[in-house]
Parts: sequence; C-alpha cells; structure tokens
Amino acid sequence: MADKKRVAVVTGAANGIGRAVALRLAAGGFVVALVDLEEDNAAKVEAEIRVAGSEAKAYGIDATDERQVKNVIADVVRQHGGVDAIANIAGGTEYLKRVEELTWEEWKAELNRNLKTTFLFCREVTPIMMDQRCGRIVNTASNYGLTGAALRTPYSAAKAAIIGFSKSLALELGPFGVLVNIIAPGPTDTPRVLAKSTAEARRRWQGLIPLGRTAQAADIAEGVMFLVGPESNYMSGQTLHVNGGLVMS
Amino acid sequence: MKLKDKVAIVTGAGQGIGRSISLGLAREGASVVVADINGEAAQTVAMEIQQAEVSSLACATDVSKVDSVEKLKDRVLQTFGRIDVLVNNAGIYPACSITEMTKELWDRVVDTNLGGNFICSRAVIPHMRAAKSGRIICVSSTIGYKGAKDGSHYAASKAGIIGFVKALAREVAEDGITVNAICPGVTDTAQPRGHRSDEELFAMKHSIPLGRIGQPGDMAGPVVFLASDGAGYITGQALMVTGGGFMF
Repeated sequence: MADKKRVAVVTGAANGIGRAVALRLAAGGFVVALVDLEEDNAAKVEAEIRVAGSEAKAYGIDATDERQVKNVIADVVRQHGGVDAIANIAGGTEYLKRVEELTWEEWKAELNRNLKTTFLFCREVTPIMMDQRCGRIVNTASNYGLTGAALRTPYSAAKAAIIGFSKSLALELGPFGVLVNIIAPGPTDTPRVLAKSTAEARRRWQGLIPLGRTAQAADIAEGVMFLVGPESNYMSGQTLHVNGGLVMS
Repeated sequence: MKLKDKVAIVTGAGQGIGRSISLGLAREGASVVVADINGEAAQTVAMEIQQAEVSSLACATDVSKVDSVEKLKDRVLQTFGRIDVLVNNAGIYPACSITEMTKELWDRVVDTNLGGNFICSRAVIPHMRAAKSGRIICVSSTIGYKGAKDGSHYAASKAGIIGFVKALAREVAEDGITVNAICPGVTDTAQPRGHRSDEELFAMKHSIPLGRIGQPGDMAGPVVFLASDGAGYITGQALMVTGGGFMF
C-alpha cells in the first residue's frame, strides 16, 4: 500500500500547547491543518513544519464561527480526502473573577472559546470519520474540569462540560471505529501563561506538583500523540491527565 | 524505537496480558525480564523475544514471596546491571462468593495481586532512585472501580493498587520515578474464563462502544507509552483501556 499521509487538524495551533501538538503530529507523520485566530502566527508554525520537511497549511479563522469551521474542514477534505485525527486545543481563559462580578457576556465568551469551538469541530468531522470507519478525536479539558478553581467558574464549567461531551461522543462514535479521548493538561509554561503569572505563583505551583515542575507544551503534545496513535487503539472516552501528579483522578 | 537500552521487568509475563506487554516492550527495543510463577511459560515467552533478536531473561518468580522477588532482582542486576521499568502485572482471580470464601483464599488473592505490587516495587525503587529515573506501571482493573460479583477479594486488591499507585507516585516523584496504572476492562485471556463461558465472555462486547472485548495486545500500547520518555510528566494516573466500556 502506498503510504497515504494521515491528516490531522489542530485548533489553537499558532501558540503554546496547540503549536507543540502541531509540531509533534507533523514529526509523527501527519499532514497538519493549523487552525487559529492568529493567522500570522499560524503561518509561522506552517513555515516551521515545512522547513522540517513535513506538510502543513495554516487557516486563520474564528473557531467559534460555524461557517468558517465548515469551510476549513471542507477544504481539508477537498485536499486530502479525509480527516484522520483532530486535536481541539483552542481555548483558554481570560477572566479571573468572582462569580458575582461576571457578566453574562463574559460567561458566554468563556464557554464559546472552549466548549463551542470543540462542539463545532467535532460535529464537522464526525460524518467524515463515520464514513471512514475510523478516526481520532482529542478534546482538551483541564484539571480544573475535575477540581474546579476559585475565580474560574466559567472556565471550569466549560472544561467539565468538554469531558461530558467527549464521553457521550465516544459512546456515539465507538460503533463506527472512531475514538474520542480527552487530554487534561496541568499548569503549562506557554507564552500566554508565562506573560500573566508571577515568579511567586510559579514557585507555588512547583511546590504543589509532585514532579516538582510545571508542564512544558511538549509534555502535553506527547500525550496527544499517544491518543492519535496505534498505542491507544482500545481507549475511548478517557481523560489523560498530564500534570506531573498535581491531580490524580 | 522508544525503549532502546532500557531494561524492563514484567511480572505474570508467561501468558495473557503480561506476555503481550513483554512483547510490546521488546518491540520497542527494551530488554525484557519475563517473570512468572510458571518458569516454563516464562521461558517460552523469553525465547519468543530472543527470536526477534532482543535480549530477554526468564525468571520463575512468586511475587507474593519476598525471597523470590529478591532473587529476581539480583538476577536482573547481575545480567543487565540496571532496572528502568517495572510492570506489576501478576495477578489471580479465583472467583468465589463471600460466604464460601476462606480467609486463606482472600489472603492469597490480596497477597498476590496487591502484595506483589508492594514487594516488587520496594525491591526495584532503590536502583531507580540511584539512577534518578524509573517507571513503575501497575496493572489494576476496572473491577477495582466497579466491583464484580464473586470478586470481592479481586476488586479489593485491584482498588488497593490504585491507592498504592497514587501514594507511591507522590513518594518517589522527587527521585524522577513515575508510577501509573492501567485498568483493562474485560479481556480475552485465560484468566476471566475461570468463571465464565466463552459465550458469556463474548456477549459482553455488546456493552462496549468499540464492539469487541479487549485483546491482550490492546494493553501493550498504553504500557509502552507510560514506559517511554514521552510520558515523563504523567504520574499517579490510571488509564482505562476498555474500548469505552468503562469511562472515568
């Protein structure tokens, strides 16, 4: 059989964890579609992957917009004939606020950024993967989805919702050979996090994490690579915690 | 190859899941110590690995006996000089209702399934600690979470493994050692057949989203991953390998 390239879509691929996942999947033999609101940074990741000898294409879109999500997936299918894996990494949290201070708009923005983007991309690739009778979906939760976190009610709610959503999707898609799993990163040294956190906060994390350090984006990328690869063939509906032992589920 | 130059011990490796894990680790280049209470079965698996031109050592080991495990450890160190990975897989499942269960049977199950994890881990940790790295992977079971009729001893031992894994993960994290578990769901090995007909076993596929019960080979991939460098930031976790039949 000719070695037909496997195709992966990575959302939030311009920076941080998404970027590391895109680089890892490209190194692991995937053609990668890089989805991000930050088109210029996504293009940089595309260039980085091409220099390393793999194939990638950047799509600068708003992942909360149904029509744009549809167009990206349609374009990937047109070019490559299918989607073998999707890693929904796009998301994150903007607010650090008490619940009584949150506006409805802020709540919705947080849910949209995390849960809506995940739903839209999953819905779009599902019929394709069902037709293929195979496919891998990896959605991103967080240890906060289990433990909750003060001042992060909408983010924690969105991440818990992603776990419930992904398990339900795993049940729906299992009979079609499509596996759905969840990656749950602990505190990770991404540019966005590092810009916001103080040295003292980082020391505090290190004290709480049994392995004594916060995660690097590459640690999370290895977990995603496992969940889209043959080693996890018989796993679906599971949450892989990559957090140095901070939370043991 | 993900595990080149690593030395891995797998207990209960003479058959079923342990055998598949051993072959999986060897495929990634690890030298595998095949430990089993049945020395002949261990020898057969070790030869299978050697035929693939990977080094392997067979050891007749009773994981519930401190002396036997000490002997295993000494032989491994004499032969390979190091221990990078320990897979605590050995376990037994003699189904029995609680009213019929003797204290002896309870002890035998708990001593083998849970005690074996303690004895084997305790034996290798000083060497991993000295090397500032190591991987311990324990084979628990979904039954440790959800229980099973006529399996009170087994369920207790497998749930005990989860507590043990989390405690040990915290204890040895500063030494660069990670400790994790995998939890197979119902798997096509000799073990669950002791109390179920083939019809009963395969009928369980209807409750599994992926539409089939597990094969021993399905359990090898997650263990290889947990043993590999890429999983260095994962500790204290339990991976359910259940085809979606049990989600956690």
